[in-house]
Amino acid sequence: MDTDGKADAGLLERSRRIKTAAELGLARSSRGRHWSRALLLRRRLLISKEETTTTTRAAVEVEKLGVEDEPEEKMLQARVRTLQRLVPGGEEIMEAERLFEETADYIEALQEQVSAMRALACLLHGFQRTRGGS
Amino acid sequence: MEPPRSSGVGIDNSGEYSPEIAETLRFEEEIQSLIHPSSFDGSAAPTGGGSFTALLGLPANQAVELLHDSGAREPLASRIRVGEHPVHRPFHLPLDCSSAFPSNATLVDRAARFSVFAAEGSPASSSGRLKAEPQDSDSPPLDPIPTGPAKRKDTGRSKCDVRLSLSFKSQAKVTAKKSKNAEENTDGDKLPYVHVRARRGQATDNHSLAERARREKINARMKLLQELVPGCSKITGTALVLDEIINHVQTLQRQVEFLSMRLAAVNPRIDFSSLDSYLSAECGPVTVRNGPGGVVVDPSLWPTDATAEATRRLLVPQFWHIDLVPPQLQPQQSLTTWERDGAAHSQLLPNPTTSLFLYDPANSGDTNVPHRTAKLKTAEDRALNL
Repeated sequence: MDTDGKADAGLLERSRRIKTAAELGLARSSRGRHWSRALLLRRRLLISKEETTTTTRAAVEVEKLGVEDEPEEKMLQARVRTLQRLVPGGEEIMEAERLFEETADYIEALQEQVSAMRALACLLHGFQRTRGGS
Repeated sequence: MEPPRSSGVGIDNSGEYSPEIAETLRFEEEIQSLIHPSSFDGSAAPTGGGSFTALLGLPANQAVELLHDSGAREPLASRIRVGEHPVHRPFHLPLDCSSAFPSNATLVDRAARFSVFAAEGSPASSSGRLKAEPQDSDSPPLDPIPTGPAKRKDTGRSKCDVRLSLSFKSQAKVTAKKSKNAEENTDGDKLPYVHVRARRGQATDNHSLAERARREKINARMKLLQELVPGCSKITGTALVLDEIINHVQTLQRQVEFLSMRLAAVNPRIDFSSLDSYLSAECGPVTVRNGPGGVVVDPSLWPTDATAEATRRLLVPQFWHIDLVPPQLQPQQSLTTWERDGAAHSQLLPNPTTSLFLYDPANSGDTNVPHRTAKLKTAEDRALNL
């Protein structure tokens, strides 16, 4: 895994590792989804997130939501592209419909992860308080 | 070619429409004649007619003849469009409408079989279907239903078959939305798909219709997303909804980052011996993800040897950097992770003196280690309802 060098390198580093681990956990728990595969790939190859946003091959390929080329459609396009960037693996999704599916699933998983992490944080902080921790 | 308007009427009352509809349709006819003077003969019709006639099982010309006989000539998109709008609003047509339609039994029969309302006959079902129809509207993609399903209940019927004929004409994926009877979709279309129809100002060629079908699928997904994102249901307009969704995703991602930072700040001083008491006592915030029973800690999982282990571990200078993996991981996996973590880089924490959360890789008590990590994992599992 990517747990190499979990050095005691300060809060930021630790938090980053935690986040990585959280993402991996999240991805593993929802195996079948495109975004989870993308997350795993991303982590495994240690590709920075910003890299994927610069690929032009698919970023423009999201099919048009509407038939007309009104300015609103262009705005919609922009938003859809933003969503693509947000959802891991979104750039590879060509159809808006698929993108929305993945987004829905990703949102669910994120919510679960947030609540789990929150619970964990509360638990551990509670321990700290109880134990009179540092 | 003109699909008969009676297609929509294919209920028991063989094609009766109210005078209003007839008027409207005649109005449409006139416009139609102005716009497409030559399109009334079946040969001039685009191939879309073929689907309909195939539907009818009649040759195009014969169908056209039937229609011509009835004098109720319908079908082009532009006309429908024109006629649609007025039909939309004010008419509350009774279900039994006067006949301006072919009374040809064959035609009506076939239309009945393939129509939206075939075998339905009841206003309830048709209105039920009609309520679903508004979803097809793509002008306000998210707003369709509130436009008075009651109103559409009656008008929609005529609208429906108008659209039905329209879509027949253009050979789109024409299937009745939620048609209950087994009218296998007319074009042999595999999906029991949305009843695609033309709206004002939109073309009806195959391409646009396919696109519109796709767009409706997209709108369905969008609805799903709306339900998922809190506070999104009230928003109308695709762009705003998308904004909201993007905002939500970003918020969640930021929350994850923030929480990971918070977790990183947690000093991993966990006293296993008192873990059970703590969990049973102060399990308020932890019940977020738990089942109805809240945190369930089985004291039997914490036998005395755990305490003994904890004590023993205290003496060992190695410390275990907690890799706070969210508990979605399988126990086996997380076990591996933790073991690997501990083995690879057990580091001294900033305040290593009395850290109670210890792991000694050098102490190759393999039985103990898995046991311990399993216990830890189990505790957290239970805490977080895994």
